[in-house]
Amino acid sequence: MKESSDMHVLPSTPVDRLRLYGVFFFFLAGFLYVIGGLVYRQLIQSNELKDQSDTQSRRVVLRPPARGRIYDRNGFPLVDNRARWSVKADLASLQKEFRAEYLRMLAAEKAREAVSIDREKLLEDARVRVLQGWLNKVWFVIDETNRNTKGRKPLTKLTPVTAPAERQINITELRKHLRERRALPFTLVNDLAFPGTGQALTADDGTKSVARFIEQFPVEGPIRLEQDIVRTYPYGAMAAHVLGYVKDTDALPDNVDDISEVRVESMQKLRYTGKTGAAGVELSYNNVLSGRSGWELWSKTSSGYNQTRLKYSEPEQGGNVMLSLDYRIQQATESGLAKLKDPQGNLLPAAAVMIDVHTGEILALASQPSFDPNQLADRVSSKYYDQIEESGGWLNRTTQGLYPPGSTFKVITATAGMRKKVVDWDDVLDCGAFFRVGNRDYPEHEPVGYGEVNLDKMLAVSCNVWNYQIGIRTGIEALAAEARRFGLDTPLLQTVSDFETGGQPMTELPYAASRGLVVPDREYKLRVGAGAWTDGDTANLSIGQGYLLTTPLHMACVAASIARGETRTAPSIIHSLERTGRHPGALPIGLNAEQLASLRGGMVRCVEEGTARVARIPGLPYAGKTGTSEYFKKGEKAHLAWMIGYAPADYPVVAFAVLVEGQSDTNTWGGKTAGPVAKEMLEAWWPIAVKANLDDKPKAPR
Amino acid sequence: MDPNRQGARASYVALLIFVALWILVPSAVRRFNREAFVEFQAPALHLLGKSRELATFWEKKSRSVEEMAAAGRDLARINAALEIQIHKFEDIRRENVRLREITRYNVPAEYMSVVARVATRDSSSWWQRIVIRKGRNDGIRPGAPVVFGNTVVGRVTAVHLTTSEVDLVTSPGFRCTAYLEGDDQNHIVLVNGVASNSLGTAKARVSVIPRDYFMPAGQPARVFTTGMGGVFPSRLMLGYLDGGTYATQVGNFKESLLMPSRDLYNLQEVSVLVPLHQNPGEALMQGDQFQ
Repeated sequence: MKESSDMHVLPSTPVDRLRLYGVFFFFLAGFLYVIGGLVYRQLIQSNELKDQSDTQSRRVVLRPPARGRIYDRNGFPLVDNRARWSVKADLASLQKEFRAEYLRMLAAEKAREAVSIDREKLLEDARVRVLQGWLNKVWFVIDETNRNTKGRKPLTKLTPVTAPAERQINITELRKHLRERRALPFTLVNDLAFPGTGQALTADDGTKSVARFIEQFPVEGPIRLEQDIVRTYPYGAMAAHVLGYVKDTDALPDNVDDISEVRVESMQKLRYTGKTGAAGVELSYNNVLSGRSGWELWSKTSSGYNQTRLKYSEPEQGGNVMLSLDYRIQQATESGLAKLKDPQGNLLPAAAVMIDVHTGEILALASQPSFDPNQLADRVSSKYYDQIEESGGWLNRTTQGLYPPGSTFKVITATAGMRKKVVDWDDVLDCGAFFRVGNRDYPEHEPVGYGEVNLDKMLAVSCNVWNYQIGIRTGIEALAAEARRFGLDTPLLQTVSDFETGGQPMTELPYAASRGLVVPDREYKLRVGAGAWTDGDTANLSIGQGYLLTTPLHMACVAASIARGETRTAPSIIHSLERTGRHPGALPIGLNAEQLASLRGGMVRCVEEGTARVARIPGLPYAGKTGTSEYFKKGEKAHLAWMIGYAPADYPVVAFAVLVEGQSDTNTWGGKTAGPVAKEMLEAWWPIAVKANLDDKPKAPR
Repeated sequence: MDPNRQGARASYVALLIFVALWILVPSAVRRFNREAFVEFQAPALHLLGKSRELATFWEKKSRSVEEMAAAGRDLARINAALEIQIHKFEDIRRENVRLREITRYNVPAEYMSVVARVATRDSSSWWQRIVIRKGRNDGIRPGAPVVFGNTVVGRVTAVHLTTSEVDLVTSPGFRCTAYLEGDDQNHIVLVNGVASNSLGTAKARVSVIPRDYFMPAGQPARVFTTGMGGVFPSRLMLGYLDGGTYATQVGNFKESLLMPSRDLYNLQEVSVLVPLHQNPGEALMQGDQFQ
């Protein structure tokens, strides 16, 4: 019976069968369509869809790496990183609090029967109030003055209207953050150790504030303690022009392409603000110091907040750079410069450099006025920026300052004269109070003149008339050629490759003088439209005046070259044990033994009894040459004080140059003003050299 | 319908109604309920602790005379050594008092010590939390440091009438600053507990160790509290650096693991150092508003 009833429900007519097949094929087609779609999506479109899904639901957050350290030649860190503890609010976790506060404020507005309610503004106010509440809690914990608590009830610190800015939520910053970096935590306190405009709250290094937060603030919750790294310069402004400083950048080293999961081009990448070199070695070796960014792959919520960290990789610290500077000599050099002041007590602009005669490595390089890179490492106040701008502190006078070298150039004039055989080391010239060239008298700086002067005496007393005579006898062509042979028109410092800089190739110290260097000749004068060259111009050039422009570093190299009996010295700011002491382009100086001995002897006499006698160091005979040149500063005539030299006299190890820009109302002279700085540098260097000699006899002094 | 099934359905309905009611009741009522449950449970915890002590007592009482005599001899030896130490400490104490009087250095006591027996360990996190048999009635307040001898055990996180919950050093909720033995410059490092799996040994992480720090040779470096955070007194021991330090790629810092003192695993009694003055952190733990 049952079987027959089942049979009964089957369609019995052809029409019914057709209907049944129709329905069957309809469903079959639908089924195949679904299966086909599934296959198409899963097998053919899968990669594309996965990419789309990743793009929509994931993001990469790039974290900046710690920059490498910069050491002096002995391994003392000149630039380091310190831990910075910052307090951040996780906005995603605060969503409920924002909402609750918003609803409360909305209810209050409605109860007030407000005519119109700006809901966007209300939501922003709610966010600010919630964050302000948390910020108050943070300050309540870290500010030790909150100790005033009696019994069981704390005296909470109320925030007055005139509260300092750092205790208030910065609405502009919050808006910007929500617009650009909503997924990242919002910074409540940027630096826990120095929360109040860069100042610690207690008389320590700020550690107490950090410790109080760590131990007293709840671990769980939306407020996080994050620790990152901030650039620090332990010696403050010391060697600031060499070290440079760093500035904020959003362009982090982008190595996310190494990660297979995040190769989707359109995937959102958020970057924490990192640091990049802005000047000095920080800039020229930026790529070496930078390191590799860390990355985090996050899934995100529909409202754009980070949800779960799926994968991550820690940032990798950048490489270290070892400079040739010796911080002890650097400190002494800067201390010497800091004593140079005008009658009003302002620091005189000045520069000083000391280099290793044999390797060309720079042991000290100072420029005054300077700046403190610590104050530029994080948030730069416009006031401090303007202060540096006004004082001219950005300029590295040692490598960028262009000055007439004055009488220090006389060593080149003498060399040119002897090489052209217009004078010899023992020739004696009659040098009166002036020397007539054409119809103009060129004066001696000694009113009665020096009488009979040979090379040795010329260098000791810095006789001008000897140089006028020899300069004119030598001629401008030979004189200019000699200056070029010593490299006065050639940019110094090696070029750092674009691989190391991470940008354009540049010199070891960025933007060292190149095009501004002038060794004048007939062609130059015509080119600048100053007319034909005259003997007067030659006379001027012979004493380092006129159109000649060079840097203190060039003059230190001239001194080092004379010490070695060569023409070129290639200075470098990078310390290398593999440095050979060969200098590209260096030729023998071209003087015979007597001539060279006389040239060097005159420089020693200059220190012993001549114009540099104020800088004499008992027990350390050394060679020097002073110079006082004239220049115009703000339309008024002023003096530049120079001193170059090398030490010790018999077995030279270091060479130096000092330059001081005198003010129009100051009494600035080569020996008197620049001499004491040179003395201080050498007095700092000498014990180090003696100790090195005791520690390792064959090495130094050479 | 089957009366059994009908009964089952009724119980499900009752459960649903109860859950719905529980969701709907005000949070204050739920908090009160939770608190009441803890207080209801407290005598059981006390009883559990005391019964364990009683068991230990009987276990010891059942030992043979020879064993007791040997233990007595050992104790006599330890007593003698301690006697000598007591004399030594007494001398140091007197010298300390004398120097304080000379320099007129008078630091008021900052903490009140409350000795408490351990009632139980929180079964959900074996190494991370203990319950002690002292509470609000004994003056214990949240946030107070808990020590055993000169070793930090943890920190009070919740206080009930007669019991308190203590987060151990290895608890993820524990965080403090520390100095490392052998660091002449006294850099502060961060110690915080690490969530471990149920079978793993509980440890804490020591981070932000300066890169140029090296452990003293031949012994694990001890880790001490700094006393700068206003919660823990200074120079209390947190444990030892375990297995050396290792560099992180982040840069200037290294990390290590903290092996807590051995006593942490076998605690019977602890001291709670209740601060005489409330600190801001305590106010935050009590949920005070700072708007």
